[in-house]
Amino acid sequence: MIRMFERYETLPERFFDEVLSADGLPREHYGIMMQRFGQFSSDDIRTRRQIVNIFFRNQGITFTVYGVEEGIERIFPFDLIPRIIPAWEWDLIERGLIQRITALNEFLSDLYSRQQILKDRVVPADLVLGSPHFRREFVGVTPPLGVYIHVTGSDIIRDARGNYLVLEDNLRTPSGVSYMLQNRQAMKRAFPVLFDRYKVRPIENYPQELLRTLQEIAPTSRPDPNVVVLTPGIYNAAYFEHSFLARQMGVELTEGRDLVVNNNKVYTRTTRGLQRVDVIYRRVDDDFLDPLVFRPDSKLGVAGLINAYRKGNVALANAIGTGVADDKVIYSFVPKIIRYYLGEDPVLDNVETWLASNPKELKHILENLESLVVKAANESGGYGMLVGPESTQEERDRFAEKIVANPRNYIAQPTIPLSRHPSFFGDGDLGACHIDLRPYVLFGRTPAIVPWGLTRVALKRGSLVVNSSQGGGSKDTWVIDE
Amino acid sequence: MLSRVAESLFWMSRYFERAENTARFLDVNFNMLLDLNDITAVDHPNYWSPLIMVAGEPELFSAQYPEYNAHTVTDYLVFNKKNSNSITSSIGMARENARSVIESISSEMWEQVNNLYHFLQSASPQQVHNDPYSFYKEIKNASHLFQGITDNTFSRTEGWDFIQIGKYLERADNAARLIDVKYHLLMPKNSAGHDFVHDSVEIIQWMAVLKSCSALEAFRKIYLSRIDPDNILRFLILDRSFPRSIAFSICSAQEALWRISGSSRHRYANKVDRLIGKMEAGLSYSTVEDMYLNGLHDFLENIEQGLVKIGEQIHLLYFAYHTPKIEPEDVSEALPFTGIAGGRANWSQSQQQQQQTLHARPQPVRT
Repeated sequence: MIRMFERYETLPERFFDEVLSADGLPREHYGIMMQRFGQFSSDDIRTRRQIVNIFFRNQGITFTVYGVEEGIERIFPFDLIPRIIPAWEWDLIERGLIQRITALNEFLSDLYSRQQILKDRVVPADLVLGSPHFRREFVGVTPPLGVYIHVTGSDIIRDARGNYLVLEDNLRTPSGVSYMLQNRQAMKRAFPVLFDRYKVRPIENYPQELLRTLQEIAPTSRPDPNVVVLTPGIYNAAYFEHSFLARQMGVELTEGRDLVVNNNKVYTRTTRGLQRVDVIYRRVDDDFLDPLVFRPDSKLGVAGLINAYRKGNVALANAIGTGVADDKVIYSFVPKIIRYYLGEDPVLDNVETWLASNPKELKHILENLESLVVKAANESGGYGMLVGPESTQEERDRFAEKIVANPRNYIAQPTIPLSRHPSFFGDGDLGACHIDLRPYVLFGRTPAIVPWGLTRVALKRGSLVVNSSQGGGSKDTWVIDE
Repeated sequence: MLSRVAESLFWMSRYFERAENTARFLDVNFNMLLDLNDITAVDHPNYWSPLIMVAGEPELFSAQYPEYNAHTVTDYLVFNKKNSNSITSSIGMARENARSVIESISSEMWEQVNNLYHFLQSASPQQVHNDPYSFYKEIKNASHLFQGITDNTFSRTEGWDFIQIGKYLERADNAARLIDVKYHLLMPKNSAGHDFVHDSVEIIQWMAVLKSCSALEAFRKIYLSRIDPDNILRFLILDRSFPRSIAFSICSAQEALWRISGSSRHRYANKVDRLIGKMEAGLSYSTVEDMYLNGLHDFLENIEQGLVKIGEQIHLLYFAYHTPKIEPEDVSEALPFTGIAGGRANWSQSQQQQQQTLHARPQPVRT
């Protein structure tokens, strides 16, 4: 049938393949794409690869890897074969995420006011109050519209049967949205014809939607609220994204040193004096926001910002203290949280999770390290993680010690056989790579999902880790109308 | 606009102009040596040491290289990363500045800075020695392209004015240094310059000075082929219409400063405008004879020092982030450079800003 896919292996008994069904035929929504790619020679692919590489290099789209001195900037690897999600699957994701984010926002609102859910013992109080991301200073402070999580990106995976599961919630400062927008640009340049054959839902209005969300939460009644993006600076891994979003929204990109607080109001320092700021889309973690309140050694923040926030003179997106709800331990309670606040069953399931803080579950974890994935509750980006099946005995022993020493900090999940999708490895060979999906939800007056997501792909052979810091790349993701 | 953004635009432009000027000096020097038609002389230190003097850091050079010759000087001025004014360093700094304001410049401008950066990263000393003409041409063209792109894609806002100020202050400073050094080497010590006897080597050298400012044809249109030092100095320093002369650069910087502050002729709004107005008037009403009065070197050094002061005042007025009042006696501490006689004050971006960017490094990020 199709030359390029001749040697493509699906292993349907172990993994869900996104493109080919168990009988080896393309799924309906992939039909046109398979036909198109089947007509390409390896030269065609190489030419398109070049178009894309030049596009990314010239745009300076890079990310930073920590702990590597040489070549700190790298181009984010991009795979040419797009992932396609049909409308009916997307509807499920949309309903599931909006339900989930609504419930998590209720949860945060409750934690920072009456704490009813703790009193009702649905979530153990010690897990919440003991979390390093719970900011007790903010109990009793209500953000504008009662919204805490304005921009979120939950990670979604598919198990061996193709069920969509939520793996993780990112409620603090999820990144990746600029890659998604740039991926789309690159694909349009490289595959104009293919793009034309599908009814791909457009995504280009994301920056406007983000700006609208940010303007909606402005605390002041000024007619044209001044929104700024706050970045840690050019050495931050996601700096490109911060500047990209500021440019696309047409707002100022600021660093901590550009802002000053006077009389509990926030201003930018400009060539013509001080100018009032109403909303800060901050891409700086809580800990670094204000040296007077959090880490005193932070040079990234603004002294006095928190008081201005508490006074209601400026809005922050996302609000402070949201990390308590995307903690990997709290994650295991999300289905209960959804039932508690909304009285509904979760549309999207969680991945089964064991908590090391529970003695019975700890025993299970320690006995099954070889088959489990163990994660530190408060690390991200694939750091501080043990992948059981890929680990050595020595690594497992060392990890077991860490878990026993600090059980609150660890959770374990079964090794999920992430779904696979045809992709080009670094050397140009085609193979099945594991993928996940990160859609983004914006929450101003109401939560709304934007019709696409960032598909991350593990481009190392056999690897299950899709994080960019660990050799992962991304794909363009097409949500199509049938 | 944000003070930090204004400052980065200013320095982006300034470093880009600096790289172009350095490429011009080197290019012309190579060409001049070919004109001399004397193969053994090409590596003579006398032809190469002036380039280091223009850039003003002979100690840093001597610490790293045994002698002045084509290879060492080229390496120092093109590739040396310890030399913060080498072409590679300058473009690196221009790019860092552009990167920190990437949302404020057009993507075409960013692509162009990036292109030149990648060209330099992949260039080798061998490539320069094999074909210096093409190499320097590439850099000059890249700079012209950048100016052209900026001209056609950047809105005529305050940011544009800061870009112009950075470019023209740097150009004026470079021209002053180049003339100063060349004059010093070319003029007989006791001569006031009037009864100068040309020999052909000197004429070639003076033509090289003109060429390094792309001024030879423009000069000939006015003075025909009368290549004598007085005319050359009049042209490079005082000419009001040639875009690389000192007077033209100062006027252009002044116009940009006026657009920002709202000043006009006869009426200055702040210290920067006063200083640059004074300098502009000085140039407008000077003759070559005036320049010789206390010696050309003093005249040029006055301009260089004046440019330093203007740079400082721009920093204080527009970039210093409106930090709480700085008392006059604290100024010398607040600024890393204040009028060191004959030194390179205000030659580099404020250390304060560089440190800030370094400190901004460590926050781990969620991906």
